[in-house]
Amino acid sequence: MRLQHLSLVNFRNYSRLELALPSGALLLCGANAQGKTSLIESIYYLATARSPWTASDRQLMNWRAENDALPYSRISAEVRGKGEVITRLDITIYKDSQEGARFRKDIKVNGVKKRVVDLLGAITVVMFLPQDLALIEGSPTDRRRYLNITLAQSDPRYAEALQTFDQALQQRNALLRRIAERQGSLNELKFWDNKLVSAGSVIIAGRQRLLRELELLAQKVHRELTGGDETLEMIYQPSFAPTAKADGQLSFSVLGLDLHRQLKPAEIEPQYREALAQTRREELHRGITLVGPQRDELRFMVNGRDLGLYGSRGQARTAVLAIKLAEMGWMESATGECPVLLLDEFIAELDARRRAFLLERISHASQSILTTTEPDIFTQDFLSKAAVWTVHAGEITTAQSLP
Amino acid sequence: MSKAIPDSVTRLIEAFSRLPGIGPKTASRLTYFLLRAPEDVSTTLAGAISELKSKTRLCKVCFNITEEEVCGLCRDERRDAKLIAVVEEPLDVLAIERAGIYNGRYHVLHGVLNPREGIFAENLKIKELVERVRSEAITELILSTNPGMEGDATATYIKDELSRAGVTVKITRLARGLPTGADLEHADAATVMRALEGRQNL
Repeated sequence: MRLQHLSLVNFRNYSRLELALPSGALLLCGANAQGKTSLIESIYYLATARSPWTASDRQLMNWRAENDALPYSRISAEVRGKGEVITRLDITIYKDSQEGARFRKDIKVNGVKKRVVDLLGAITVVMFLPQDLALIEGSPTDRRRYLNITLAQSDPRYAEALQTFDQALQQRNALLRRIAERQGSLNELKFWDNKLVSAGSVIIAGRQRLLRELELLAQKVHRELTGGDETLEMIYQPSFAPTAKADGQLSFSVLGLDLHRQLKPAEIEPQYREALAQTRREELHRGITLVGPQRDELRFMVNGRDLGLYGSRGQARTAVLAIKLAEMGWMESATGECPVLLLDEFIAELDARRRAFLLERISHASQSILTTTEPDIFTQDFLSKAAVWTVHAGEITTAQSLP
Repeated sequence: MSKAIPDSVTRLIEAFSRLPGIGPKTASRLTYFLLRAPEDVSTTLAGAISELKSKTRLCKVCFNITEEEVCGLCRDERRDAKLIAVVEEPLDVLAIERAGIYNGRYHVLHGVLNPREGIFAENLKIKELVERVRSEAITELILSTNPGMEGDATATYIKDELSRAGVTVKITRLARGLPTGADLEHADAATVMRALEGRQNL
């Protein structure tokens, strides 16, 4: 899959941009604050309908456009996918005059208005950000977000379940808070419980599948990166035991969920229901939902040791790199198409050996877009195959300006 | 410092801006229109607005907006008193009436369950509905809350409340699926799924 054309109107520091994008590797060079990252952000936004940097769509709008009579910004792209089929995507962000200062977005696929969940998967991306390297030391929320973004792009059912789950969770928590204040009725809980259980079980089953498949791929890459002396394992720890019987399993909380026996959502539901029943008293007391995928944890082990607790920074970075590279392969097998790779200032974070390893892998992707302030850190081999463009003050020079 | 706009004008602009769908620009335009228009335009409007609240009330049977104790729809003997369509808002009554084929009565809930927005069962006319079904000879309830999680939650809750109260009555939910005139190829997955689930014999 590749983006063959991108056009931006009033997006970040671009007032207007029309860009034909090459296949293979594209390196965007330039000083800071010239618009390299905004370009990556716009493509990410087309894939996920959200920015990796801001939750507010308002910030995506060019500041000069905000005073226009009808302020809007638009990202459009032509995507060439399987069988040379071309899909046209448009996202327009605009100020809703009906609701004061609220910003809304309209999503169109081939000119037809769609919901966010219908957009997901139209173009799949794998994003490499410097902060991804902190995936292992970072917060559990970051690790769950990572799982969600990867799965939602490739599995529409997961995306749908995630949306349902979030909504039901918020409603249920509001209701629990109310009941904790000795108002509201327990009878109102049932509907939200059911939604939580059915959507939550789809999420857990999806994560189990992703992690099993990703672990195998990541182990392979990790062995190559470490010269074969370290074994990477991923441990998935849902907030309750989703299997019917922990047959001979020592402790679920230590070992995590057995990734090798794939559970179906319907098999998880009874345990989820049971876990809710068991925590009900405490939930009613504390006024918040205590079990479910919103509390899942993901741990990484190397040679049986927890990387988050005992790993060195270098070990953790190597593991993340292996996982991100595995994700490329996983996405390709899950969707049948090679994802578009987006690397924002990522290469500079790596040492020479890992850098060479990653660049070699990337050069096989059908399309990758990288940004850098220092083009000279790239390998000669990579630069000779890549298109090297310069970004300066929201203008892009496509001429090859480097040796 | 002298003001460019007198207080009485500012007050009306602010009052208009609080209305749904009206921003500050529209509010100013309406206000200056009234300033220039003949006096009777604004007195008629003011009268209509003040009578809106003082003359209307909720029908004590179905909780629709009415000027009498019991609304015209509930008093209409030609309508089928054994059939109740349960709707969220008074405007939904109009929507069903526009279809022109429904000949039963209504029950207006005045909202849907939405804990996030602070709307719980006791804020809605649900207890009154259960009482109504218990005391009147009702044969069918058509739950017509909007399709969506909150509308579904409300419908499910009503069904549960009725069974907890030991009331047996036929309960149906409005069908959902493809809108008339829409293309199947352009419908989103959720709509097509609903349409398949709700398919009917030809």
